[in-house]
Amino acid sequence: MIATSTTRMRNPNARREVVVTGVGLAVPGVATCGDLLRPLLGEGGFDSATGLRGRELRHKDRASRLALHAAAFALHDAGLTDADDVFTGAADSTAVVISTNLGNADSVCEAIDTITRDGVRGLSPLGLPQTSSNVIAGWVAIRYRLRGPNLTVCNGVTSGLDALAWARNLIVAQRAEAAVVVGVEPAGEVVTKILGEQSTDAAVAVVVEPADVAASRGARPRATITGYARAQNLAAALACAGVTDTQAVGLWLVDEAGAGSGHLLAAAHRIDLESQLGPLSGALGVLQCAAAAAHLDSGATGNVLATAGGAGHDATAALLLTPSPPPRPSRQERGHP
Amino acid sequence: MTWDITGMAAVANIGASPREIFAALCAGRESRKLLKVFDPAKYRAAYAYEIDDRPKGGDIPRRATGWLTTVVGQAAADAGLGEDLSQVPVLVGTTMREQRSLELWWRDDADVALEDLHFGTALKAAFGASTTYTFAGACAASLYTLGMATDLIELGIADTVVVAGTDAATESGFGTLDRVQNGIPDALRPFDATHKGMLMGEGAAAVVVQRAGTADAPVHARVRGVSMNCDAHHATAPDPDGITRAVRDAYRRAGVGAQDIDLVMLHGSGTPLGDLTESSVLRDIFHGAGASPPMTAIKAMTGHTLGGSGLLSLVMAVLAMKEGTVPPVLGLTDPIPEAAGLDLVQGAPASGDLTFAQINAFGFGGINAVAIVEAAR
Repeated sequence: MIATSTTRMRNPNARREVVVTGVGLAVPGVATCGDLLRPLLGEGGFDSATGLRGRELRHKDRASRLALHAAAFALHDAGLTDADDVFTGAADSTAVVISTNLGNADSVCEAIDTITRDGVRGLSPLGLPQTSSNVIAGWVAIRYRLRGPNLTVCNGVTSGLDALAWARNLIVAQRAEAAVVVGVEPAGEVVTKILGEQSTDAAVAVVVEPADVAASRGARPRATITGYARAQNLAAALACAGVTDTQAVGLWLVDEAGAGSGHLLAAAHRIDLESQLGPLSGALGVLQCAAAAAHLDSGATGNVLATAGGAGHDATAALLLTPSPPPRPSRQERGHP
Repeated sequence: MTWDITGMAAVANIGASPREIFAALCAGRESRKLLKVFDPAKYRAAYAYEIDDRPKGGDIPRRATGWLTTVVGQAAADAGLGEDLSQVPVLVGTTMREQRSLELWWRDDADVALEDLHFGTALKAAFGASTTYTFAGACAASLYTLGMATDLIELGIADTVVVAGTDAATESGFGTLDRVQNGIPDALRPFDATHKGMLMGEGAAAVVVQRAGTADAPVHARVRGVSMNCDAHHATAPDPDGITRAVRDAYRRAGVGAQDIDLVMLHGSGTPLGDLTESSVLRDIFHGAGASPPMTAIKAMTGHTLGGSGLLSLVMAVLAMKEGTVPPVLGLTDPIPEAAGLDLVQGAPASGDLTFAQINAFGFGGINAVAIVEAAR
């Protein structure tokens, strides 16, 4: 028999709070994280037509290029890169955690079409990295020389929330001093076919680090990752994530199609990002975290609950984000663009 | 802190259980077969290490998923966990996920859904498991999951975790590798001067890890520490600095030094650069640490089983420690000069008193993981 096994991943070490200190978006039609809290006008934001070109991005798959953009914005936002986009943090102990389900789907299907038509001699040798599902994490690590643990979470619609929880685990377990978490899905023919809906480019990155490290370098924490669970249904996920006081939830970033038992949190303000942006798959959870950071950073009241999965999926994930204490008054608050 | 291994299972081309695979490795008979699943006319390489379980008439989707659920069920049974894993996290490391199913869906209209690409869907159906994770970590993936499992236990999040790795060969992966390798390997020959590159294998492995002392089942071995890092150097080529850091971090976590290691399960992918890099690093690591421990590389017989390969090496290390026997590297007769001084087991199994084993796994994206496992006595 199992001795006191538990699937909880809640507040594993209260001594080491993990906070969000930077956010970066590469999403067409979304200019700022604050936009995610309002009806989207669909204007501004990332321009895939011009934004995916450049020497640094050449020969890389579309998802990796999108992810590199989002990571650059987030690292800058966190104050961890200099004016030349060189990483200034602890590179040996900074983790990269990618969430994606369809990042290399187009590359895989294009390769098999080429082989069927021309044999392997028709393939480009430059396509080798993207046959492996972890290609994006490798490119982000190489770009900023990030030599800590390097994870790619391909876990269905909960991937983004799962990725944030694993980033926190890496930090609490002291395998990493910081993590860049990127949720990314590219637009493409294969992606559109498998989703059954028009696919869109979406990449979002957040930087997470221990609250004490953020405080010591004067970074401004936007949100604290307080609870998480991946469980069989919403009720179990909320219980395991420690969402016991539902009255304290001021904003619920919900997956309306999957949630089912919405009455559990009838009081909270609800936003379903996919109802405006279309299917986000692996980008969803990280985009929910970006929206949560914007909400909490604006001084709005209440905690933020993000959920994904449910009906039609293998599980439901829940992530609870709470306001971060402001930096100590003795510290000069650093400016953020 | 140490962690108990209480359940093990594996499947590969040369056997459907850890014992069968270990016996085949010790017997050391050629295991490569002519490429069967893909149209050989499209490829330069003619051989692979496939699991020959496809029905007549072509490939089918979800074979990697099928092996995974088989080994997870067997490992859970070995540990006495039963068939209900609803309260047990299951961490799966993979290189390709179900990309072979994606290919069959795209080209041949196979019935495959988005939810089939990750393994939680099948683990839910088979075991009622919900705290499930699919990690794409190239060929270090399953040792990464072992490291994360030890973290879950150390952080008090779980007492029991199932870790696994699985991969089926994909046409896009086999084909692109075939395209880029300079030579055309007709066998995977790690550390031999004739090595020309990597050939894919297929398979899965699973291990149950438990908080020390909580298990009812006998303990197969103890995990002493698992390192995980990234070279951040090159998308596909290995980097000696990153690998060296991974080995030294594993020793630090395990509280051992090079002089304590009795067995090294090499990554040994048979690519000239990979073999050169790994042997050069190990020469430095073991320099001044006494006589080299025996080292072996199972991919010579299993092919490169990708995401699950690290965990398969670990399971073989556990059996080697139990038996006091190290299988030879099939086909190794003329080691590369960079491996001079390393005790690569050749020809016949070696015997010895083995207490600490080191398992190496390195992957695309510059991902490295090294595990240190101690015999349970």
